[in-house]
Amino acid sequence: MADWSELEEALADYKQRCNSNQRLRRMQRDWSRVLHFVCSDNGIIFTMTVDKGEITDITQGHNGIADIIVETDSETFCDMFWGDLNPVQKYLRGEIIVKGSQEDIMRLDAISSIIWPD
Amino acid sequence: MGLRTVTSTSAGLAFAAIEYLAVAGLVIYVAGSTGWIAIAVAGLLAVLVWGFYGELNGMYPTAAAIRLYMSKAMDDRAALSITFTYMTTIVLVIAADAVIVGSAIGYLLGQSGWAVGVIIFAILLGTVLSNLFGLRLAGGVQDIATYSVLAATVAITAYGLAHHGVNLPNLIAPLAHKSPFDFVQAVAYGVFLYAAFEWVTASAEEVLDIGLIPKGMFLAILALFATCSLIAIDMPLYLNKAQLYSAIPQLYLGANIAGYVGLVLMVVVTAVTAINTFNGGFITASRFMYAAAREGNLPRMFSRLNTRAVPYVPVIGLATASFIIAILVVLTNSWQTIVALGAALEGMIYSVAGLCVVRLRKKLPEQKRPFRLIGAKVLGWLGVIIFAFLALAAATSVKGKTDFVPLALLLGLGILSTLYVLLLLPKIKARQQARYEQKERRRPVRKEG
Repeated sequence: MADWSELEEALADYKQRCNSNQRLRRMQRDWSRVLHFVCSDNGIIFTMTVDKGEITDITQGHNGIADIIVETDSETFCDMFWGDLNPVQKYLRGEIIVKGSQEDIMRLDAISSIIWPD
Repeated sequence: MGLRTVTSTSAGLAFAAIEYLAVAGLVIYVAGSTGWIAIAVAGLLAVLVWGFYGELNGMYPTAAAIRLYMSKAMDDRAALSITFTYMTTIVLVIAADAVIVGSAIGYLLGQSGWAVGVIIFAILLGTVLSNLFGLRLAGGVQDIATYSVLAATVAITAYGLAHHGVNLPNLIAPLAHKSPFDFVQAVAYGVFLYAAFEWVTASAEEVLDIGLIPKGMFLAILALFATCSLIAIDMPLYLNKAQLYSAIPQLYLGANIAGYVGLVLMVVVTAVTAINTFNGGFITASRFMYAAAREGNLPRMFSRLNTRAVPYVPVIGLATASFIIAILVVLTNSWQTIVALGAALEGMIYSVAGLCVVRLRKKLPEQKRPFRLIGAKVLGWLGVIIFAFLALAAATSVKGKTDFVPLALLLGLGILSTLYVLLLLPKIKARQQARYEQKERRRPVRKEG
């Protein structure tokens, strides 16, 4: 089980990679969303705010009304934000649960595929 | 997503322009205006499918839908082969709708032959460009489109029925001068009329109350039954054989019922249904291919995104495949073959859905099932057998005559998918695995203590 400090470190790296990737910023320039994350094993919850493709804020707890809710265990979140796993495989096996429009799910995965291309 | 949108999405996915051709194909197998009876029987079978997908969707409320259900219930290679075979249904429906819309516009403009080909090309090009630019129909617009299409169809067919009248024997004796096997064929086509209503389960993540999905699907079944039954009652009253066998029976129906106004109305209805099909079909299929590529089940190029986060290789590939099939259909006048093949594919996947329910009850008896199908063991196996039989019936008859072309196409698609999964896919996966192994792990190792 990963604790909040591990998640915070992974999220900081993820945020830096996303915001500094020009191709991703261009692609997501019309995408502004509030994402809620839920760790199913240890109950840690956090919020990511995206404004026109830029991750502006990551905080512990749930703030605002979620456009997308992502739930999985903390270890999977850590690996995902470090780019050490392919989230689509986990999602298609039902190990990552996402509530949101199919367009937003697609956009969320697009981030991983751009900043960590295969 | 509320109940109104779930219902319209479910009904809209099923009610493509090819629906009218499917009804025309159905009425050939029954006497008089009794097609509604076959549609009612098919509707009861659709309720069985509703039960299957209701339970499966409750267990796995995800856009991965049938792909996930099958991978949990059976060997993943079998699941993938079936999934790839089934996904060709989308290409067929897009191609068929392009032919129907092209033919409808061509008919209105007094054009035929190569002009229809040009119209089909323009339609598909417009769809590709709108997809590549990330243009989407707003959910509310889709709702209005679907309900308008159903309402307009009901309105004109109800008017036609009231205007023409029908004898009671014409309505209730499906086997007059027809065999029981003809009725089975009609039911197989009837199942196709409801086909794709269950694809709304892929929107499970967009509803806050998962219970809305089975409710919406059930209401969609009722709406489709009512609409298609009226069409099936009117078509034998107003259309001759040549018009029934044409690519645009709904236009002839509109014209014969209400003259030029009816014709224009049905052209508009056809165009609106096609917008739904092209919009929804391209998005669904391209995202499926994107996810399959990200998962490692298709080559990497299918996961490339353009600057608007659109998987452009699947979009262009789908349009190209649809255009080729559409032209072949026009040149060979084989739209009823496409309907038969579509009916067979849907029968096949419904049979598989029943099998998934039965196997998952055995494999995962304790898994939470918010929607539990009563009598799943018996109904599951019943569904497996009935839908397999209907699929075979649909695949071996076209225009009322024995014809093995749909069966040959179905088997061909299945063999190609299986060969891909068994021979090519291991190489793609091996390359993907090698890439992952070469990647350095980025997550820092946790220091204990």
